Amino acid sequence: MSLGPIEIEVIRNALTAAAAEMDITIWRTSRSTTVRELLDYSTAVFDADGNNVAQSARIPQHLNSMGAALRILLDRFVDAADWHEDDVVATNDPYCGAQHLNDILVFKPVFHDGKRVAYVGALCHHIDMGGMAPGSYAATATEVFQEGLRIPPLKLIEGGVLNKAIYAMIGQNVRKPALMLGDLQSQLASLEVGAASIRRIAARYGAATLIEATSRILDQSEAAMRAAISAMPDGTYSFEDFLDDDGVSGEPVRLHASITIKGDEIEVDLTACADQQRGPINCTPAMSNCAVYYSIIAATDGAMPANAGCYRPIRIHHREGSVTSCRAPASVAHRVAVCHRLANVMFGCLHQALPERMPAAYYGGSYVATFQTEAADGGREVLVEIEIGGTGASPAKDGVNAWSFGMHNNSNIPIEMIESQMPLTITYYGLKPDSGGDGQYRGGLGLIREWRVDSPAGIFTANMDRFRFPPYGLAGGKPASLGRLMRIRDGQETPIAPKSDAVRLLKGDIVRLETSGGGGFGDPTKRSVERRQADHTLGYVKG
Amino acid sequence: MSTETTTRPIRIAVDIGGTFTDLQILDARLGVAQAWKTPTTPEDPSIGLLTGVKEAAERFGFVLADVGLLLHGTTIATNAVLERKLARGVLLTTAGFEDVLEINRHVRRDIYGLAQEPFPTLIPRDRRLGVQERLRADGSAEIPLDESQLPALLDRIQHLGAETIAISLLHAYANPAHEKRLAALIQAARPDLPISLSADISPEIREYERCSTTVLNALLMPVVKAYLDRLEKRLGEDGFSPLVFLVQSNGGVCSLRMAAEQPARLLLSGPSGGALAAGRISELLARPNLVAVDMGGTSYDVSVVQAGRVSVITQGEIDRLPVRLPMVEMRTIGAGGGSIGSVDAAGRLTVGPRSAGARPGPVAYARGGTEPTVTDANLALGRLDPDFFLGGAIKLDMPATRTAIETRIGAPLHLSLEQAAAGMLTVTNANLGAAVRLSLFEKGLDPRDFALLSFGGAGGLHAIEVAEEMGITEVIFPREPGTLSAYGILFSDLVQDLARTRLTRAEPGGLPQMRDIIAELRQAADARLAQDGIPVDEREITIAADMRYHGQAFELLVPWGQLHAPDEAALADLIQRFHATHKQRFSYSNQDEAVEIVTFRAIAKGKLAKPVLREPTPASRSAQKAKRRAFDGQQWCDVTVWDREALGADDLIEGPAIIEEAFATHWISRAWQARLATGGALIAKKIAP
Repeated sequence: MSLGPIEIEVIRNALTAAAAEMDITIWRTSRSTTVRELLDYSTAVFDADGNNVAQSARIPQHLNSMGAALRILLDRFVDAADWHEDDVVATNDPYCGAQHLNDILVFKPVFHDGKRVAYVGALCHHIDMGGMAPGSYAATATEVFQEGLRIPPLKLIEGGVLNKAIYAMIGQNVRKPALMLGDLQSQLASLEVGAASIRRIAARYGAATLIEATSRILDQSEAAMRAAISAMPDGTYSFEDFLDDDGVSGEPVRLHASITIKGDEIEVDLTACADQQRGPINCTPAMSNCAVYYSIIAATDGAMPANAGCYRPIRIHHREGSVTSCRAPASVAHRVAVCHRLANVMFGCLHQALPERMPAAYYGGSYVATFQTEAADGGREVLVEIEIGGTGASPAKDGVNAWSFGMHNNSNIPIEMIESQMPLTITYYGLKPDSGGDGQYRGGLGLIREWRVDSPAGIFTANMDRFRFPPYGLAGGKPASLGRLMRIRDGQETPIAPKSDAVRLLKGDIVRLETSGGGGFGDPTKRSVERRQADHTLGYVKG
Repeated sequence: MSTETTTRPIRIAVDIGGTFTDLQILDARLGVAQAWKTPTTPEDPSIGLLTGVKEAAERFGFVLADVGLLLHGTTIATNAVLERKLARGVLLTTAGFEDVLEINRHVRRDIYGLAQEPFPTLIPRDRRLGVQERLRADGSAEIPLDESQLPALLDRIQHLGAETIAISLLHAYANPAHEKRLAALIQAARPDLPISLSADISPEIREYERCSTTVLNALLMPVVKAYLDRLEKRLGEDGFSPLVFLVQSNGGVCSLRMAAEQPARLLLSGPSGGALAAGRISELLARPNLVAVDMGGTSYDVSVVQAGRVSVITQGEIDRLPVRLPMVEMRTIGAGGGSIGSVDAAGRLTVGPRSAGARPGPVAYARGGTEPTVTDANLALGRLDPDFFLGGAIKLDMPATRTAIETRIGAPLHLSLEQAAAGMLTVTNANLGAAVRLSLFEKGLDPRDFALLSFGGAGGLHAIEVAEEMGITEVIFPREPGTLSAYGILFSDLVQDLARTRLTRAEPGGLPQMRDIIAELRQAADARLAQDGIPVDEREITIAADMRYHGQAFELLVPWGQLHAPDEAALADLIQRFHATHKQRFSYSNQDEAVEIVTFRAIAKGKLAKPVLREPTPASRSAQKAKRRAFDGQQWCDVTVWDREALGADDLIEGPAIIEEAFATHWISRAWQARLATGGALIAKKIAP
């Protein structure tokens, strides 16, 4: 069949629909709250060479990393010629292209008439992968070996047959095997659904046309990205921001980017970022590049469908051994900390090129809180929650209160569900007044959440940031508030280090988290009387 | 229900839309249903309603005193929310959780956008007040309700100028005592204030969704009450005193009293009429599996009839706010006749999501539209008649339409006019096909097992090509597609949904508790039907359960039948149904896994009589109009144009062909044949290749 602009658009939409069908499959069939209520998963379709061509509307950190993972698998671990129609390759190894160990990636090629026409892939954050901390989110791990079970790239399904030995080994090494394997099953089911969908497209248009169409779809996004970059003023723009620490050394971690916009290309230099750290915040390029891609795609304000074509005009330089390009066996569980801060840094750079578009800093961190309750009979329940803060003010708009932004996109978990399922009580959940940065436009507010342990004992793990360096304001706008994390026992508040492992809790202990708001934009003296009045009436601003 | 009203021969269904108020008038003496349309009066829709009824009475020859039943579909609640014409509300929550309404569930839908639009918060922070009390998940009180705070609370309510109160306390679904006590105390001091309790409105687990639903209900109560008062005042004029029922989101109707107390149940009632009609047509034509699509100017609504039942879900949303109440399952995509085609800098052709809407509308309307729309593409290809649009009410501008498509689509893509216009339709139909496929996919269904039911003003031109997209080989065009919702409403039943959340393992040990809950639900359901005057033998109470595997966070609605006190066998049957439903929707089931019930439901149906209709008679004029040049996708050809109203049982329509009627045009593709069937429906079938 001939391939004109009409067929290309029809095929592009069909590929996006395939990713959406995979997404629905996981959402509706998974077991754990991490996947089902936190929505910590993504699905995508790749061309026959492994380039991401269509995405589900999920998590930027995942979506912009899956193509890199598949590339690494194909280049270094799996011979494409030996990867057959009914083989599913799985891995969670950060040094083989994956993210942190919780994220298991599964890929499967799709064939039509004996020719490979596409790959489908799914990534899920699993509730636990073993290791030193419940939820596998150890805040003080210094080697990847401590973080949990590493699955090297392997054929979990070969010739349509599930490798039961590997399945059993995974189950034996994780804290909640039924939930974890249930989620893995959903992930595998989504590949079947995606593959069936792609085969339908191939049957209609033929293998050669489909392959040609995917290549043209990438070209279109590339062209749109180049056009968007051309519209940005040429120049070199630099910005820096810091993470509080790595959870082990206690020293601030510098993130720095220098971007050069020239014609229709952007060069991003990350070589001035800090050395890789002992604590688990390190990134491989497959992780840190996501923040760069996300920021630049966001700066074009939705000009094109996001896919690998968007990456082509972007060149990223890393320094091996730095936090953006770490060497094995550095620990990586909280790699999203670097990615969030890098997004803040990229927005800071892009603000200099696009002062009328880019917002001030959002809270810039995934507030990961993990609880393990221990009942008197030894029964254990695990809860992983990811909290958020406020978004930065824009050049003409206040930030949004408690709004999931940047690299992640998670849901919270209903209080009533938590309390029905485990011995935890949420004793407070509300916005935090005064947490947004002042400015002509105010940053959005962060929030406060409190968990009380009702079982005889519990273990708490925290992986959080923005307790020393607040989200910045722009154009005269003020920074937002810092976060706070406390244990409250008998009315006494004791600070908990924001990156903590195995904090022992007793019955009645309350953990209180206060998250950062977003930075303000513009001179605070120019804030309108009406807006100030409303801030006070609504209690967004006290004092 | 008084026998006096039910024996009156006339039944009227009304569907009030944005532009027109559609009526269907059924005369039981003649066995005919007839359609009437009158302009909607947005300032008070009851005016247009009454005008329409009077016009119809004159036209069809009945007296108002003969009208026994008025079934009323209304968007009054929906519009009040969309236009924010809501009452000033105060929300009472458990202290420390006043912001749950504003924090919502976090997930954003536009992942890359910089300017994020927050979810609407209908009660601002200063009007959300905390109450000292706390229940646990099992319904026990950790902190008793502190009644000493009442005077201060009442002062705040007074000071804030509250017109309505929403109360949504944590775990109130498990124990409504605190909400009820609080309401009683407030009511005693302020009998003027309407109060909505989460335990009454949506007694289900998940605090944000329950609170959102309760708040919507509270803010709507004064608005809907005012409307119903006006409506009741108009009734009684000229002996017009029918029994009135309102269409709810769940595909059934409810009494005026229920609508006034729980107006949130009307919020998503728009699709109910169409879905009811689909259910009825499914039965009339013996097509148990139908996918119904309603295509208008700006939206495309998809609903599903499976095994003769309209698919219902337990939660919908309005303006991005969840409404946790049973509703007809509907997937809406922003595509319609007004969707705009454009080519971007990278040479990519897109159709929608931007729409020209009613103003300026398509280029063809000559009201200032410059960007080509789907309607324009249909006109350029000869599928629409420039002189017979809406029965000739609007003259379409063919030259301007052709120019717009040539310059904005054809030239940048180096395509001819025909290729450009046909390309716009191909992209549109593929998108519509994908939306329909997803609707079925979510339920684990295969489109090839379905017939497509097409209605709405723009549906007929796309239905067959959308069907081809999915391998569907039969398309049904019902009679009078423009007033189909009113037709569906004509045959509705009274439906009340009751729910009780009680997280329970589906094990024999839980049976005594289940029996108690079911008995309680049945009793409440029966009382409600009695209150609405439904005689005992017209009542039907079905039990259903929201179920999941232990650890899952989302439930499946599993019907349990009209049972009273389940025994072990009944429970085993329910569990098997759950496994089977899970397997169908999610491609796997696990017999070894523990199953739990989250929420028990009673669906109480009060059956209204179903009058029998005679077959409509064709208009006595030639069924064939003059031929017209039209582009069939490959080439221009002379196409027969048929007059829908004059079609007889012997007419066989061979594609390519066009069928015209007053408010719709249908396109029959090559290799398809259409014939008249029961009830005036037209059925098109693909001829085996």
